[in-house]
Amino acid sequence: MFIRTVAEDTSLDAFREEIRSFCETELPAEVRRKQSAGQHLEREEYDDWLKRLGAKGWLTGKWPAEHGGHGWSPEQHLIFSEELGRAGAPPIVPFGAVMAGPVIYTFGSEAQKQQHLPGIMKNDVWWCQGYSEPGAGSDLANLKTKAVRDGDDYIVNGQKIWTSQAHWADWIFCLVRTNSDGKKQQGISFLLIDMKTPGIEVRPIISIALGHHLNEVFFTDVRVPASNLIGEEGNGWTYAKFLLANERVGNVDIAKFEHYLDELRKLTANTHEGGRPLSEDPSFKRRIAELEVNLATVKALMADQLAATREHGGAPTMMGAAALKLRGTELQQSIMQANVDVLARYGLVYQTDALHAGWNGEAIGPEATAGLMYEHLYRRAATIYGGSSEIQKNIIAKGALGL
Amino acid sequence: MPGFDSDERKLLDESLQSFLTDTYDFEAFKRHMRTEDGPGFSTQAWSQYAEQGWLGVALPEYAGGIGGGMTELAIVLAAAGRHLALEPFIGTLVTGAMAIEKAGTAGQQAILADVAGGTKMLALCHAEPQAGYARDYVATIARKDGDAYVLDGEKSFTLHAHAADVLVVSARVGDASGPAQLFLVPRDASGATLNVAPALDGRQGATVTLNGIQVGSDARLGDNDDDRLDLISDIIDLGVLGSCAEAVGAMAAVTDICVDYLKTREQFGQPLSKFQVLQHRLVDMSVSTEEARASVHAALQSVDDKRPGAKTAIWHAKVQTCRSARFVGAQGVQLHGGMGMTDELVVGHYYKRLAQLEAMFGDAEWYLGQLSMA
Repeated sequence: MFIRTVAEDTSLDAFREEIRSFCETELPAEVRRKQSAGQHLEREEYDDWLKRLGAKGWLTGKWPAEHGGHGWSPEQHLIFSEELGRAGAPPIVPFGAVMAGPVIYTFGSEAQKQQHLPGIMKNDVWWCQGYSEPGAGSDLANLKTKAVRDGDDYIVNGQKIWTSQAHWADWIFCLVRTNSDGKKQQGISFLLIDMKTPGIEVRPIISIALGHHLNEVFFTDVRVPASNLIGEEGNGWTYAKFLLANERVGNVDIAKFEHYLDELRKLTANTHEGGRPLSEDPSFKRRIAELEVNLATVKALMADQLAATREHGGAPTMMGAAALKLRGTELQQSIMQANVDVLARYGLVYQTDALHAGWNGEAIGPEATAGLMYEHLYRRAATIYGGSSEIQKNIIAKGALGL
Repeated sequence: MPGFDSDERKLLDESLQSFLTDTYDFEAFKRHMRTEDGPGFSTQAWSQYAEQGWLGVALPEYAGGIGGGMTELAIVLAAAGRHLALEPFIGTLVTGAMAIEKAGTAGQQAILADVAGGTKMLALCHAEPQAGYARDYVATIARKDGDAYVLDGEKSFTLHAHAADVLVVSARVGDASGPAQLFLVPRDASGATLNVAPALDGRQGATVTLNGIQVGSDARLGDNDDDRLDLISDIIDLGVLGSCAEAVGAMAAVTDICVDYLKTREQFGQPLSKFQVLQHRLVDMSVSTEEARASVHAALQSVDDKRPGAKTAIWHAKVQTCRSARFVGAQGVQLHGGMGMTDELVVGHYYKRLAQLEAMFGDAEWYLGQLSMA
């Protein structure tokens, strides 16, 4: 039950202060403004900010010192994310720092470490994640993208889908099939592929939020040096699972949703019903209280995971990560839904033009409307991506309950 | 008395379904919604609905209508919802036309013939920025000026207001303590400024700013000075019921689409429909849809039979429909996985339409609040 003690740790106050004051002075005003208005960032301005963090080594602060990180504890990483959120900065892009990097330094060769880790640390290289395929979503091991050995190369053919930021990425880490015999999981390998390689085509997917964030990536006879294989051929599933557990902990994005809960408080104060602010309405007060409870619970689950992480030598438990992903994403959706329920009083207007800087039309309703609506629609995917809620429940059923 | 028996209703439903299936598929929907500089719907389809007599199902015979009740109109709206039709059904046929039919003078009711004929569209512009979902909050003022009225105020975003020929606008006569009345204001009246914008579900609408709009005394709906808030509330209730009927049609479509998809989508070596947890999810969607349908049906009968509990029945139906719509719409996306998140698949458009309908005239929480205070 209540075994582990997590002592209140004031030793990190100075650390927090350092991050906070850095954000205050270094976060470009335009990025802050866009984030607060919920507008889309251009790659260049995002890149500029990430490079500033990279110069401090903070994108990869969690990495062990031997691989160039600061060896941050999970608590420190959490504080870092919280402070970014508080400052109104965009979250760090996880594909290199959180996903590819740890796989490379844990399972990669010396040459791979030297080639890739510095670029990830400094954000000189943008990564994307080549996991899902049209026929391999929840059943990820069913993937069909083939890599056939040809001399010193692999020839890759196939298709990935739901690839976030593929249109911005320089490299993609990919799960590919190198063997079709035996158990599905056994013939999978983990390949790093330069997006500039001939034969790669990126096609945009427009989402229900009417934004472009996702892509399809097509591979036609793409020649990849065999030296880009991570670890051993056929062992990719092990690395993939290692990475997915990392992704799940990162997925909860607590700081961002504390911000959206603040937005909700602001919206209810500024939105009227029958001439009175909604913040005086007992049902909205109660609803906000309920969301606060849910948020506190998710934070408690998270703290518990952090403690467990220490005991398990750096990796979160699959079960704890699954529970956190499940409830964390439900929380995200209910906070956004509450915001939208307030915005509905203005007619549920969705002016997507307002998501782009420089729009000079007349916004209807609160300034944050379009950004909040976008986030609401986008987060409908939170219970789908990174292993759907149904899959998380399967993991808990099998792994924790032994069913 | 509504003049439709069960067979006639069935025939109405079948003819609508077959027409919309033939002419209003997903591609047509996207084309109508996104035609550059278009109104966000098909004016041609609207004319065709008129030719088929569907715009007049609930309009009185003197206006060229068929004299049916809310039930007949709900059949039309449910079909519209099932096919994601984008046209201004509720503003024109429900809130707009019914306000004029119930409160208008004979002269004003003449416009209903144009409504049935598909040549005039209407929109009820009642809600205001400070009103939220409250129905009794009107700050727009209609100042008497000799034989005319001068309107000043601001109306919240109303679906299809940008396409309406006539706006039915609420305003208090004289000053803030005056009786609330309704006025027929041409959309292009001098002093009317519309800010046209897309709604979540891709349809368009507008906010309306009234800045010293002059209208004649014949623009005031009806011929007495009484406060019209009760009438306005009754009209909104019919709008609520109409939006619920549309939502029921949309939910039925989502459930069907999900059943079909899960039968064909294979993961882990078998169709998703073989997983019991997903079967139960589909069952819950189907039962939720059925609950909404039954509660809306009960409310329709109360209204058409003029039963004393009609208002409560409508509010019950609204709460149930909102609950069902939220669940069914969200599951439609969830069960399609990533595909459900794309603009390319119809199910996401249903999700957005259901969210829009849920919010129309108030959400479940608001109605529960009202019911708890009644």
